[in-house]
Amino acid sequence: MSSVADSRRQVLDRIRAATQNSAATVEQVAGAYEALPRGYVRHGTMTVRARQERFIERLREYDAEVVECATEELAATIAAQLAASGRQKFVAPAALPAEWLAAGFDWKIDRGLAASDVEQCEGVLTACFCGVAESGTIVLHHSETEGRRVITLLPDWHLCVVRASQIVETLPEYFDKCSEQGSEGAREQRSREQGSGELPRLVTWISGPSATADIEMTRIKGVHGPRFLHVVVVEDRDQGLGTRD
Amino acid sequence: MRASLFITCYNDTLFPETGRAVVTLLERLSVEVEFRPGQTCCGQMHANTGFRGEAFSQARRLVRMYQDAEAVVIPSSSCVAMIRDQYPGLFEELGNEELRMQFAAMLPRVYELSEFLVDKLGVEDVGAYFPHKVTYHASCHGLRGLHLGDRPMRLLAKVRGLELAPLPNLDRCCGFGGTFSVKNGDVSSAMLAVKLEDVLGTRAEFCTALDNSCLMHLGGAMHRQFAPMKTIHMAQILASTQSQPAEVLA
Amino acid sequence: MSAVVEHSLTDRPVLDPALAPPFPVAALPVLRNPQLRKNVAHAIDVIQAKRAHLVAEKTDWQELRAAASAIKDEALAHLDAYLTQFEGRCTTAGGVVHWAADAAEARRIILEILREEKADEVIKIKTMTSAEIQLNPYLEAAGVRTYETDLAEIILQLGEDEPSHIVVPALHVNRSQVREIFARKMGLPDLSDEPKLLTAAARNYLRQKFLSVPTAISGANFLIAETGAVVIVESEGNGRMCLTLPRTMITLAGIEKVLPRFQDLEVMLQLLARSATGERMSPYTSLWTGVTPGDGPQKFHVVLLDNGRSSILASKKERQTLRCIRCAACMNACPVYRQTGGHAYGSVYPGPIGAILTPQLEHLRHAQSLPFASSLCGACYEVCPVKINIPEILIDLRAQVTDQERKTVGKFFDPMYVGLRAANVIFSRAWMFHAAQRMGRMGLKLFTRKDGWIHSLPSVGGKWTQTRDLRGLPKETFHQWWKDRGQSSKGAREHGSEAR
Repeated sequence: MSSVADSRRQVLDRIRAATQNSAATVEQVAGAYEALPRGYVRHGTMTVRARQERFIERLREYDAEVVECATEELAATIAAQLAASGRQKFVAPAALPAEWLAAGFDWKIDRGLAASDVEQCEGVLTACFCGVAESGTIVLHHSETEGRRVITLLPDWHLCVVRASQIVETLPEYFDKCSEQGSEGAREQRSREQGSGELPRLVTWISGPSATADIEMTRIKGVHGPRFLHVVVVEDRDQGLGTRD
Repeated sequence: MRASLFITCYNDTLFPETGRAVVTLLERLSVEVEFRPGQTCCGQMHANTGFRGEAFSQARRLVRMYQDAEAVVIPSSSCVAMIRDQYPGLFEELGNEELRMQFAAMLPRVYELSEFLVDKLGVEDVGAYFPHKVTYHASCHGLRGLHLGDRPMRLLAKVRGLELAPLPNLDRCCGFGGTFSVKNGDVSSAMLAVKLEDVLGTRAEFCTALDNSCLMHLGGAMHRQFAPMKTIHMAQILASTQSQPAEVLA
Repeated sequence: MSAVVEHSLTDRPVLDPALAPPFPVAALPVLRNPQLRKNVAHAIDVIQAKRAHLVAEKTDWQELRAAASAIKDEALAHLDAYLTQFEGRCTTAGGVVHWAADAAEARRIILEILREEKADEVIKIKTMTSAEIQLNPYLEAAGVRTYETDLAEIILQLGEDEPSHIVVPALHVNRSQVREIFARKMGLPDLSDEPKLLTAAARNYLRQKFLSVPTAISGANFLIAETGAVVIVESEGNGRMCLTLPRTMITLAGIEKVLPRFQDLEVMLQLLARSATGERMSPYTSLWTGVTPGDGPQKFHVVLLDNGRSSILASKKERQTLRCIRCAACMNACPVYRQTGGHAYGSVYPGPIGAILTPQLEHLRHAQSLPFASSLCGACYEVCPVKINIPEILIDLRAQVTDQERKTVGKFFDPMYVGLRAANVIFSRAWMFHAAQRMGRMGLKLFTRKDGWIHSLPSVGGKWTQTRDLRGLPKETFHQWWKDRGQSSKGAREHGSEAR
């Protein structure tokens, strides 16, 4: 494998010659990085309600189905969505609240299911890490309530629960939220899922169901990923059920 | 106000009527026009074809010739873009400190015609009269190189009798591109055909622009196709009055 | 049926810069194919309109562009530091990082990994970098079957065609052509040409492959130095399939794909989808870091590819080429691309970015016609989300090509070269310029018709008169008029100027 090591040196030597740098470390160049211009909008200006409406509007624009409900209506709303889907077999991540798993359906709880078993499921129910209003994006960090990546991929129908308090307005606010994970208050909440202070190892940003426009730029909903994305937005603010989670 | 007219090599040779119109127009606006007879070319053709050394010597020649001018007015957006966008690089690579200083001092006094009228003289109504239906083609260098914005439209809007026909796909290139038009003649012609469809679709009598190179391209195709439209540099429209209508070549 | 196959084989575009004809020649088949031009124009007009709408919605678009170009410049300025950091973090997270100095080495590394895995088939996420190193034919020759999984790539692979765009690689193919290819290759003679049904056919065709092929190859949109993560942006879910289901995953990434920090994605992801497909975000953006126990491939390799990139890095002006995030906004905006489509560029990287990237990756040994394949209209620079000044680089590369060519005997006598050399002498003295104008007028008189226009010219001029007339030279140049005017009205005007 000596040739591999040679290539590494060769490529790095060429880069160093081209940039006229001797071997630097990122710590040594942190100053240059910190000085980069960041004039773009980091924080939104919308009211909580407007932000939520924008989130829903943008989700719908990309063909996601959205319903809103109060916290106490959540279980019933989920059950209604499942029933309306006309599907029977669902998969769910291991740590989903038990009351979400509505009676009358076949539930497979994912504790390392084989892909072929997940493939048998007609739908999937998960929570999420965050919603981004501006782009109508749902962010999964694949924690124990969001599930392994495979379960939100193979089933054709995805029902995702987003608490209103999880919605941020701008994409930079999501990144701020990620770095906040290391802070004292958030640590306890997140440690179970991510390990404290760590940036996420796995992320899936979902903006509408899978789609393609490869044939004559005609947008076709649903190719290989779930063809149907349904979202329940739970109003959890007025009830004072945790400020952020 | 004393303005030195850099007519550009191709306007001098092919479109003298544009130069005459600039003189008429500026003098009507009480600008004293001077013309330095030693002028030739800005170097754009050489620069854009990869003849960097040659482009440099023409650029140096131009700077030396105009460094003391109060204002240099150029009725060709691509030549102004050449000076603004390419001279700094040429002088950085091939010039000396003295030349760079001369150029830096001169650059703020170099104006494309519509810039000179709107920004320097502060006029939009130049007292023109041109009772025709006109469409405006935004040359790429004027639009994206010089960021002329709505200056040309503002000037045209104040021309009495003129009916402006908006051109769809205003930001699309006509396909001229200097030597591109012959080096990639077939592609250039295909681009021209698409542009011409939009231009002729306006059913205007005239297509105007701030760059005769695009107009030579469009006008050449109009003539070939017996199209019922003519091209005219905007200077000629702005110079035109009731008593002295534009000289329009058949 | 077999006649159709033969036809498509002989017509297969050449995307190897070493073998492709020069751009003006390669463009001809497309210019003569109205259907193809219609397909291309339709597709990019749709994307352009969507992009314009979503960019207008972002009030901080210019600030995002400025930040993105600065982030990329910083990543490039200290590329060694960021790459070694990426290598360290990815390795800690369970990945294996390989370095490939050139295409041949990258191909060899990938084949070795596949041999170790005893893989005789592999599923692929659309990656232009793999096309750049011509990976598929190499693997096929070595007995590894490759399955492209992006809808457009399937169309091309089954249709034995080549990509003509880096985001929508089959945009030159219309629905009835897709139907024909799928019907033939998937054995579905009754397939309709409804895009929805064609898409469904592709879904069915690939489903079993996703579930059964244990090895996948991807490209990368971004590498994150800070965490060792890889990011892929896609729409269909085929990417998620490939990076979730297989046992082993191999990512091939150009060394310029690295970003310093995770947070840099907040800029890049806002720009990329809007620029590329006219969406706020692409349906799926995936990030993974090495190997995650119990979730996704348990073996992960990254191949970092140089293949000419470090030499682009060495040039101060050209370095910005490496900022490119492969959004294709430049080709969508390009009036030349709109006419010719992608194949004329003779490279997997078409359009304006291809016109600057390909010749540089080839060290200007091939693809010398590409820097001239532009009218320098500047639309590409205007839309570029990382502010690559493509016209500036085109002009610089033209100079490099011209410097190379003018030393050759053939070009010395080329009419355009002769003309430009003569023009330079002429422009150096006003009297010579004026003499040339007089001679030109006399010369062109021979070609000028009674209507005052020239309809046909010989040599280089013929390229002009093939579609346009040229007005004959006027009797009097401007400076002659000025001189005459000065003599006739000198006294009056001098008086006038004193009065002012």
